Amino acid sequence: MKTLEMEFEKEKLDKMKSIHLKVGILSNIEPRLLHNAYSAYHMSHPEYSGVALNIESTELKIQCEVCNHITQVKNYRFLCENCERPSKNVIQGEELLIHKVEFED
Amino acid sequence: MIEKSPKTARGSVQCENTNIHLLKANDFVADIIRKEVAKTKTLLINVTSSPGSGKTTLMQKTAEKLKDKINMAVMVGDLETERDAERIRETGIHALQIVTGGICHLEAQMVHQVLDKFDLENLDLLFIENVGNLVCPASFDLGEDYRVTLLATTEGDDKPKKYPKMFLTTDLMLVSKSDLLPYLPFTLEAVTKDALEVNHELEVIQISSLSDEGIDEWCDWLLEKINDKKGF
Repeated sequence: MKTLEMEFEKEKLDKMKSIHLKVGILSNIEPRLLHNAYSAYHMSHPEYSGVALNIESTELKIQCEVCNHITQVKNYRFLCENCERPSKNVIQGEELLIHKVEFED
Repeated sequence: MIEKSPKTARGSVQCENTNIHLLKANDFVADIIRKEVAKTKTLLINVTSSPGSGKTTLMQKTAEKLKDKINMAVMVGDLETERDAERIRETGIHALQIVTGGICHLEAQMVHQVLDKFDLENLDLLFIENVGNLVCPASFDLGEDYRVTLLATTEGDDKPKKYPKMFLTTDLMLVSKSDLLPYLPFTLEAVTKDALEVNHELEVIQISSLSDEGIDEWCDWLLEKINDKKGF
């Protein structure tokens, strides 16, 4: 919320309706615990109690630097499923983003 | 549970696609640190591991081996006490303790705050001994040149896939306490296979700070990286 308070004017924050997070599987964030923490946060910040929190978990994906194929990583084996070369080129799954914020018009 | 406000949206909804990275403040400071140590060509190494895997003992051992060849210092993070910095100072090198007061990792801001307590102009190597934890420290860039992770034989050889982010972002894995291998169901082959499946670029050295196994190889690795940074 501090990040959003720095990003938007108070007038706009008063109209905030929902926050959408993108949380990658490698971000070490557990969505259910974050929801619980968000509920607890409202005790000290009731002004945000009407703002919904949506968390989208993203799967881990790599893109091969050689053949450009995109692979969904399973069992943390960072291998291209097309050419079987190892790759560390993570294109999804490390995010910890405030992806979208909705305001009442 | 707190009841949600009955406030509902009226009229249309305005939407802003923000894509704000929640650790962007940390990454901003990490870049400042990276630029500062680039100016003095000081090699900055972030040392991570579980608690009790031998980070501080390795810092002591490394100081004993290298302090006459290079100028080195350590900043060490812990939730409480100054014990680790005291142990490292006993070897004769400069060491500063960062007491996080309950925070389970170091953040770039904490490192930057104490950076001016080190004479970077005359330092070849600065270690950041992170808080013992394989989870959160993986997410915080500290502006380091390299990340080194210790994995002790006593922890079990299944750790790389349990803590993939840490091993994905690590440059060198030190398998520590190798003197205990004869007594433990731990194989270097199993841990290396798991670790390389996560990160195929990972280097691996087996070490023991008690028997000295691998310590010369570790010190050579450091000296090579110091020379690379200085452009020798």
